[in-house]
Amino acid sequence: MTSLLWKDTKTHVSELKKRVPCDYAVDFDLKDVAAEDGYITTDKKSVQYYVRIAEISKFKESESLILKKKTGLKSIIRVLEVMDIDPLPISEFRKGKHKLSEVETFDTGDRILIKLEEKPSYLETLDQKVKDVVADAKKVGFDIPLSVAEKVSKHKKEMKPAVYKKFLERIMAELARNGIDPHEAVGIIAAQSIGEPGTQMTMRTFHFAGVREMNVTLGLPRLIEIVDARRIPSTPSMTIYLKPEFEKEQDIVLNVVKKLENTTVIDVADIITDVGEMTLSIVPDMPKMNDRLVENSDIMDALEKVKGISVISDEKDNRITVKPTQESFKKLYQVQEQLKVLTIKGIPGIKRAIARIDNLTEAWTVYTQGSNLREVLELDEVDASKTYTNDIIEVASVLGIEAAKNAIFLESQRTLAEQGLEVDQRHLMLVADMMTFGGSVRAVGRTGISGRKSSVLARAAFEITTKHLLRAGYLGEVDPLTGVAENIIVGQPITLGTGAVNLVYKGLKK
Amino acid sequence: MTTGISKRIYRIQFGLLAPEEVRKMSQVKVITADTYDDDGYPIERGLMDLHMGVIEPGLKCTTCGGKVDECPGHFGHIELAMPVVHVGFIKEVKTFLDSTCKSCGRIKLTDDEIKTYRERMSAYNLSSSDPEVIGIMSKKMTDEAGQRMVCPHCDTQQSKIILDKPTTFREEGIKVTPKEIRERLERIPDDDLVFFGFNHEVARPEWMILTVLPVPPINVRPSITLETGERSEDDLTHKLVDIIRISQRLRESRDNGSPQLIIEDLWDLLQFHVTTYFDNQTAGIPPARHRSGRALKTLVQRLKGKEGRFRSNLSGKRVNFSARTVISPEPFLSINEVGVPEKAARELTVPVIVNIFNLDSVRELVARGPEPRDEFDKYLAGVNYIIRPDGRRVKISTQNAAENAERVEVGWTVERQLNEGDIVLFNRQPSLHRMSMMGHTVRILSGQTFRFNLAVCTPYNADFDGDEMNLHILQKEEARAEARIIMKVQEQIMSPRFGGPIIGGIHDHITSMFLLTHGNPRFTEEETIHIMSYIDVDSLPEPHSENGRKYYHGRDIFSTILPDGLNTKFSSKLCSGAKEKCEYEDDPADKEVFIVDGKMRHGTIDESAIGPFSGEIINKIYRKYGAVETSRFIDRMTRLAVGLISLRGFTTGIMDYDIPENAVSRIEEISLDAIDRINKLIDTYKKGQLQPAPGRSVEETLEIEILSVTGIARDESGKIASSYLGLSNPSVIMARSGARAKMLNISEVAGMVGQQSVRGGRLNRGFYGRTLPHFQIGDIGAEARGFVKSSYKSGLNPLEYFMHSIGGREGLVDTAVRTSRSGYMQRRLINAFEDLKVDEKKQVQDTVGAVIQFKYGEDGVDPTRSENGETVDVDYLAFDTELEVEE
Repeated sequence: MTSLLWKDTKTHVSELKKRVPCDYAVDFDLKDVAAEDGYITTDKKSVQYYVRIAEISKFKESESLILKKKTGLKSIIRVLEVMDIDPLPISEFRKGKHKLSEVETFDTGDRILIKLEEKPSYLETLDQKVKDVVADAKKVGFDIPLSVAEKVSKHKKEMKPAVYKKFLERIMAELARNGIDPHEAVGIIAAQSIGEPGTQMTMRTFHFAGVREMNVTLGLPRLIEIVDARRIPSTPSMTIYLKPEFEKEQDIVLNVVKKLENTTVIDVADIITDVGEMTLSIVPDMPKMNDRLVENSDIMDALEKVKGISVISDEKDNRITVKPTQESFKKLYQVQEQLKVLTIKGIPGIKRAIARIDNLTEAWTVYTQGSNLREVLELDEVDASKTYTNDIIEVASVLGIEAAKNAIFLESQRTLAEQGLEVDQRHLMLVADMMTFGGSVRAVGRTGISGRKSSVLARAAFEITTKHLLRAGYLGEVDPLTGVAENIIVGQPITLGTGAVNLVYKGLKK
Repeated sequence: MTTGISKRIYRIQFGLLAPEEVRKMSQVKVITADTYDDDGYPIERGLMDLHMGVIEPGLKCTTCGGKVDECPGHFGHIELAMPVVHVGFIKEVKTFLDSTCKSCGRIKLTDDEIKTYRERMSAYNLSSSDPEVIGIMSKKMTDEAGQRMVCPHCDTQQSKIILDKPTTFREEGIKVTPKEIRERLERIPDDDLVFFGFNHEVARPEWMILTVLPVPPINVRPSITLETGERSEDDLTHKLVDIIRISQRLRESRDNGSPQLIIEDLWDLLQFHVTTYFDNQTAGIPPARHRSGRALKTLVQRLKGKEGRFRSNLSGKRVNFSARTVISPEPFLSINEVGVPEKAARELTVPVIVNIFNLDSVRELVARGPEPRDEFDKYLAGVNYIIRPDGRRVKISTQNAAENAERVEVGWTVERQLNEGDIVLFNRQPSLHRMSMMGHTVRILSGQTFRFNLAVCTPYNADFDGDEMNLHILQKEEARAEARIIMKVQEQIMSPRFGGPIIGGIHDHITSMFLLTHGNPRFTEEETIHIMSYIDVDSLPEPHSENGRKYYHGRDIFSTILPDGLNTKFSSKLCSGAKEKCEYEDDPADKEVFIVDGKMRHGTIDESAIGPFSGEIINKIYRKYGAVETSRFIDRMTRLAVGLISLRGFTTGIMDYDIPENAVSRIEEISLDAIDRINKLIDTYKKGQLQPAPGRSVEETLEIEILSVTGIARDESGKIASSYLGLSNPSVIMARSGARAKMLNISEVAGMVGQQSVRGGRLNRGFYGRTLPHFQIGDIGAEARGFVKSSYKSGLNPLEYFMHSIGGREGLVDTAVRTSRSGYMQRRLINAFEDLKVDEKKQVQDTVGAVIQFKYGEDGVDPTRSENGETVDVDYLAFDTELEVEE
């Protein structure tokens, strides 16, 4: 069944919600559309609201209308109900054979696969026991963090009421005591806490992670790579999870692997050039073909797309002969080069994909060498909510800056944990936040955070001294002397910690 | 002495120097290229003119009348015969020439464009916005203007300007002289400057073409007198001499009407000298050299890099009141103390400001002189200097002490020698975290070294193989207060990195505590008294008796140092991973350390109880009783440990690794078997029957298989060896208790060393197709690829020894590379994060006020105080509360 999708603002939606059932006048023409349900997107990329539609009619003036715009109105939608849903990507909708990629104003499409779920409210997911603890804590006189409350609820039933009360009181005292002091130089502490264990890490670049066939950069080089925010990590790799309905089916999994792996002709076959006949012969290498799950027909399919050649398949000899239509050595050479890198199948960037079964859950997971998040997420079988790549910049461009922040945090935590080094997660969070709070992933160093400091002196003291000083001259920059480095340079107390407090003793009045 | 509120620099404005300004701030126009005359007196209007300051004692500055340390120095100036381009601004000059009209001087943008762009630029404040952003915006506009070949304002046809690096501009092949450039730049109206990112209030483009050069004060470029009496001038002075000389010749040639060619050559030479005066590493210009062939260090070189002014003299400075010497251990000191040698204590002083309350005691102190001792010949603090209110220092000697003591009045400052109890900062480099510099209280000791408690080795990462450390004496009351409250060792017991203790017992402390508590051994009264005499207790624990003989339990002795009311339960390192019953403990209850109300009931004290990083008891005491009690516990624990281990004795030797004949032969079998299996694998490989693992070549698969075979062989032999070495073996005690080494090391000594590796693979480099000429080319067998089947005890054969050295070398290289790489990473991290702070609302902000996090770490908890990262340790609190209420 076809649904109507359109883009709208949050204010309109809340207005609609208040007044359903109602008539909604919109500025697009819905003459040929017959839909019983609709979806509203506010960001063009995912739908956040589900709408039940009674009827769609041509626009005519009426009293009780809600107007989307003041002018250019064309249709009226009779809305029965508006519901908050767990956001669904637009790509879950299809128009004919194609997936929708963006909704500019409105569109129609069929929803595939995924069930609709009402957006859950966080508080409702909480256990009643935890809620009780929160209430108990309120009575004692403090707000208890939910993670703490959850743990407390486990102890509650074993305790006598008197003990329980004392217990809560002690938690309150502990919470108050454990807070961070105002003006604490948390940045320096974070930097030291990550830098100091750096001296204890190994330099060994390669290591096995999960699958022994895959190499992943770990240890100090990887940590440096993360804080450098490199465009391309030295060993990009993905961990691909499949949707629950597919993850236990070996056939589907292997099919996904086949779809993923970027295989070129040279990967599975030899190309022999016959200069006398002016032909090229593709001789498939059977073990390699089997390894990569390629069949002769796949090669034939790929060759079909190449222009300017005639293809003869020789079943008996198991070879494919290619002859350029134009007879010249130059052309022959060109075709040979073209064939070598001809993609038979797969997603660009994914060099290898290997499926592994988890013996406990019997679910398959696909590990890849090389990363292409955007295209992998497009695959129908892939569970986009769990699939992971270690390429932070790619995460930022595909999923956005918040996702990149989490990626920096997870990758750095994983790198440190793998080396057996304990570093508080708060330090890593701060690094991730600092690298991303500007809206793009910024490196730690002169090209990123340090190069963007407001102080001329601080920048000059870090790297490329003269460039910053000369530029400060003609720009007429003003150094407000608010940071640490610049105050050290001019010989003043810094503005952190005890230096942040301005306390003047006036003395007793005489 | 300054009192009250001190002044604070509010901001610094940068700008370009206008020629007029240079002349205005100049005290003398320098016209002579010479420095001193024959008598060694500065030549007037020369480069060492006394108007620019003095460097020789006895002379006075003509400008301010100050003597050497009083005169701050003054600028002079040189009038250049012809203008030259400033190297630092070549790019900007090029942009101006490209984007402005050569005849009317306007930017080559139409009026409409100017209007829209001006609007866009007005959103930015040139002096405070991000210079990168302004740079990008202005580049877009100037590029657009630069493309235009006809001026939209005066319709003049424009021509392309080419920059002939480094400093020559050409227009259609003809050189544009700096003079012409300057004239063009002068025509640009102030209003158009904003599009170039120029702030017309502080900078004009023509100022980038120099007509007058400031001469830095003499104390910026002091000359040195060598022992021979010969004077040696500073590099800058040399450069300035060159500039003046060429400028003069150029002026003369120009005035004489010399041929254009000669003038141009001289002009180029002047440009070269001025260029190298600024930056002697300009690309495309040979660096100016000293007579000796050394490249001169000119202005840019003075500022740049690690040894430059910024990083070497401004961000970090040399300090007085500090000492450095070798360190050595002293178990009888508290962790809060540092032993300072007398010699150092006599030199290091603390300023005491005399007031009406301390006047008498200070006079007495001064009267002692500089080297007082008490009647037992023990060190007493004396006084080295007294400082009068006018800042004059008077040296105190034994002779003048008494008379000077009388002179001391309120308001004077007395520099008192170091005393016991003074708080000082103690530091070991590299200072990687804040625990690398902590506050200690002073103990004056004889000897030549700094000494401290061994528990403090971990935060400093110190050992005693020749390490040196630094000591700094605090000079202000505020600093001493902060050091006492924030920096003192006891305040730093918890590491902010992971929220656990970083100070705790090491090596012998752990061994000794293990011996004291494992199996709860008995000690006679005499032994107990000996052990306990090391700590400050008045009574022995509750005695037990058997057959009329009194004895004491080890755990009871340990309990005496635990604070009352301490409850905790955790599993010891020895029993970590044990499920129901620990194989090393007779009593199943001993699987866990169990302490109730400061009495130890079960378990064994080892690394996980008192060690740094893991020390559970230290952790719990700190949380419940605070810093003072924890430092007392560590002090007493370390002393108790010394008490026991010096009574009992503890040593290890090669016979600790003796294993029976049959074990040796079994290990040999294992190694032969491993070699056999490797050979078989190689055979299969050579026959081409080896199945490659997916995604791997056959060779790689073979290597992986062989590595796993050798790994198994080493583990097996280790198991056999350690099965004969029980907990009565000192080496095993050390390994199992976490005091030092791992079981792996023991199996290397007693069992087999195993496969050596480089970069995670077997050794494979060296000669063509083989590691050493002792092997056949193409031999990939066990021995040829670094399998060491001997043990350290049996000794390695020469080949094995060589292979082992290769493996060991990798570790050394690794360390060397790692330190530099991680050092740079940390420098970058610190630089990027140094300005962040938490405000009263627990928000994380940077200096501009941008919010990085709305609540620090999402829960606002200090990682130092968190329980290994947890907000609060709920499980322990539940356990502890229940026990407390029960009582």
